[in-house]
Amino acid sequence: MSGEAVSLFVQARSEIFWVMLIVMAVLFFACLIRAVRGPRVADRLVSVNMIGTMVMVMIAILSLLLGEEYLLDICLIYAMASFLAVIVLAKVYIGVYEEQRLKEERIHSPNAGKTEEKADGKESAQHEHLGMD
Amino acid sequence: MSIWEWIRIVAGGALLLCALVIFLIEVYGVYHFRYVLNRMHAAALGDTLGLGCSMAGLALLSGFRFATVKMFLIVLFVWITSPVSSHLLARLEAGTNEELGRHCEVYEKLEDLETELRTPKEEEG
Repeated sequence: MSGEAVSLFVQARSEIFWVMLIVMAVLFFACLIRAVRGPRVADRLVSVNMIGTMVMVMIAILSLLLGEEYLLDICLIYAMASFLAVIVLAKVYIGVYEEQRLKEERIHSPNAGKTEEKADGKESAQHEHLGMD
Repeated sequence: MSIWEWIRIVAGGALLLCALVIFLIEVYGVYHFRYVLNRMHAAALGDTLGLGCSMAGLALLSGFRFATVKMFLIVLFVWITSPVSSHLLARLEAGTNEELGRHCEVYEKLEDLETELRTPKEEEG
């Protein structure tokens, strides 16, 4: 009687987990399509962030479904790696944009030729200062 | 199967279903909105409420073990780091988009926004 009851509990639990896993996989692919289609870089990074959260939930469900507790440690490490990836990518894209803008300013600036040394030096120093901000 | 186990499995299943609905709303919102700063609003839903609901449901279904503490740590970590990454992504978008004024109203100085926010309130009062 008691064993039957326990098996019923485990069976109901595993069925809930399977339904959850399948729907999360479908949502995962929807997020992936959004990441591919996103018109701007920030769109893609937002979708990657969402994918990270969904994968964390899926790993946590799998750890209960398979009865392996160490998968939760992997989930915690995955959270840290996902956060680090988003931060690093955002910082890199900000830096790339700043560098491009600085290069364009140098090309389009009227006093590119170095005829007036003093004024030119001041201007370029100001540009450098603006770029550093 | 005792009554407490029934309560546990029904409550845990309800919380997981709630998390599933929240993730569905998140993905729908990301497809529904047209601009990144709007999409970010929908995307933050799953990071906070979706993950919290699903981890609470999983903790109820697993029973109180050491794994529950780990789940709590995961939720705490994501709740701390999600606003940071969202803020950085918003700064990336606001800093690199030169046509930001086409999508939303941009104030050059913070004082302008503060005065505009203050004036209708005084008229109402």
